[in-house]
Amino acid sequence: MASHKMSARDVNVFYGEKQAIRNVSIDVDKENVTAFIGPSGCGKSTFLRTLNRMNDTVVGCRTEGRIELDGEDIYASEMDVVLLRARVGMVFQKPNPFPKSIYENIAYGPRIHGLAENKSAMDHVVETSLHRAGLWNEVKDRLQESGTALSGGQQQRLCIARAIAVDPEVILMDEPCSALDPIATAKIEELITELRGRFAIVIVTHNMQQAARVSQRTAFFHLGELVEYGATADIFTNPTQTRTQDYITGRYG
Amino acid sequence: MSDRAPGIGGDLPVTSNPSRWNSDVMQRRVARRYASERRFRRIGLFAVALSAGFLAFLLLSMVINGARGFTQTEIKLTVNFPSIAAGVTPAALSAKGGDEALSGLDLEGLAASEATAAYGENGAALLSDGAWLTLRDAIKSDPTLITRKGEMWVPASVEIDAAAKGRGDTANTRLVAQLKTNGQIKTGLNKTFFTSSDSTDPTVVGIWGAFKGTLLTMLVTALLAFPVGTLAALYLEEYAPRNRWTDLIEVSINNLAAVPSIIFGLLGLAVFLNFFHMPRSAPIVGGLTLALMTMPVIVIASRNAIKAVPPSIRDGALAMGASPVQVVFHHVLPLAMPGILTGTIIGMARALGETAPLIMIGMRAFISSPPTSFTEPATVLPVQIFLWSDEVSSGFVEKTSAAIIVLLVFLMTMNATAIYLRNHFERRW
Repeated sequence: MASHKMSARDVNVFYGEKQAIRNVSIDVDKENVTAFIGPSGCGKSTFLRTLNRMNDTVVGCRTEGRIELDGEDIYASEMDVVLLRARVGMVFQKPNPFPKSIYENIAYGPRIHGLAENKSAMDHVVETSLHRAGLWNEVKDRLQESGTALSGGQQQRLCIARAIAVDPEVILMDEPCSALDPIATAKIEELITELRGRFAIVIVTHNMQQAARVSQRTAFFHLGELVEYGATADIFTNPTQTRTQDYITGRYG
Repeated sequence: MSDRAPGIGGDLPVTSNPSRWNSDVMQRRVARRYASERRFRRIGLFAVALSAGFLAFLLLSMVINGARGFTQTEIKLTVNFPSIAAGVTPAALSAKGGDEALSGLDLEGLAASEATAAYGENGAALLSDGAWLTLRDAIKSDPTLITRKGEMWVPASVEIDAAAKGRGDTANTRLVAQLKTNGQIKTGLNKTFFTSSDSTDPTVVGIWGAFKGTLLTMLVTALLAFPVGTLAALYLEEYAPRNRWTDLIEVSINNLAAVPSIIFGLLGLAVFLNFFHMPRSAPIVGGLTLALMTMPVIVIASRNAIKAVPPSIRDGALAMGASPVQVVFHHVLPLAMPGILTGTIIGMARALGETAPLIMIGMRAFISSPPTSFTEPATVLPVQIFLWSDEVSSGFVEKTSAAIIVLLVFLMTMNATAIYLRNHFERRW
């Protein structure tokens, strides 16, 4: 029985009058990769963004219900959203490295959180993070070059390294491979598999093969509802809901 | 499945004929499209040529008229200083109160009498009314001069100056030719123009006072308008909620940017002078007034620059656990800086050329000594140009053009700085 890192209960999300998420309850495992799948506009990205309160920045967005990180309510008034986002990191659909050097991209998070005491400690953090993201060998000779000069796949791995650098507990990935070519995608998937166990990982994807390859748990969203949630193998081979069945066999979406 | 177009208008059978790309109708249509493209290009080229022509005309006429303003004809004069010394010693001149002793000397009369002695009874008319100032400055820098004879070059009168530059009447032209063969006249770079201030005599006027006034005024404007404008833009873009009040503020700022500058002059007059009783004609008041005028421009330019920073950068930083203020100062502001600086310098350049609001707050006074502080009476370059263009003496025409050249060079330097800063800070993302 895997232990739960995050759990959501009866979560509703509204954009103004429009309801984007309806009564979603879900548990995210500590050791597993959890995939959110579903057709465009089904609310899977919206739900992902409630897990580190990135939806707070969207004007008119309102979240109801209870989401816990290790039993703490992250929407409680005493929860510090800055610290929450340090504990629950995020990687976006489009690689968004800062227009600074590769080194500075990684060092930014540890610096603002005061995680490295001195220059050599920072060097160590940068090197370790790049190693874990599988990028060290490709960039070790050009750490002072701009992060935006890397290829798309390298940029995305840089963003993952940047998220790892602050040593989060959960990493949320919002369609991290949708802007990448198949080779870069394969590298990211490999990386996700390697990171599994060290961080709880939640990945939103449009690519069902990808969900099947990298995740152990899969949640299928449709029209803002959580239709089915279970072991990835079960969802893909033996779904209990007809809507899930229709989606994974390509009937719609 | 049937022979119907899939998806769009499912019940519409595909019946249209295939297009005949080689038919005459099609050929004519293509030719018309190319013709309209050529026409559009020619109109554009004409517009560019027209504006370039106007610019070239403006610059050429300025330079041709103004170049003469940078030169000044001088006449050689041997001056016997001891004849008026009347017991004043070099020591007395360099000691405290030396300026008073100096002003006791009749240098004006001396210059006139020496000119009469050297060049005949109309000799004094050769010299500028301000010729004695050269003698005064010479003694000031070297008090021992009072004990001996000195050979000096003093500015020529407006008529002689014009004749030496080929624009005088026949009598003066002949006179100048004669002086030239004797080596008693020369036309050279007018250093006085860069070191002295306003005067009633066009041969000794300079722009240094107005230039310094401009620098002080612009400094006040920049120090006030840049931080306030940038911070206001940051607050409005990053923090302020979108509601009726912020809409109202946005409309007001846009309106303020379009208010005629003389209204800002009236505002400065009413608020800074009449209410706060700040000194009249001072660079600080001019700077404050121009800052009011420049701020809306900076706010608008800065807001656009801030808006152009991609949201993905903000998201990226927020997701790292950066606080909103860290996002703004670590990421948004550095990326928006080129745009903010460009907007600021464009606003400053506009303020630099402003005349009307400064006239309203009294900066059109006759200022013959350069200001040394922000509260001393001063004038600025555009106002100086305006004042000189109003003068009766024909000697001011070329000085006006010369001052315009100086102002234009100042403006171009500022714009070049803007371009340099933009390229220097620009980053890609």
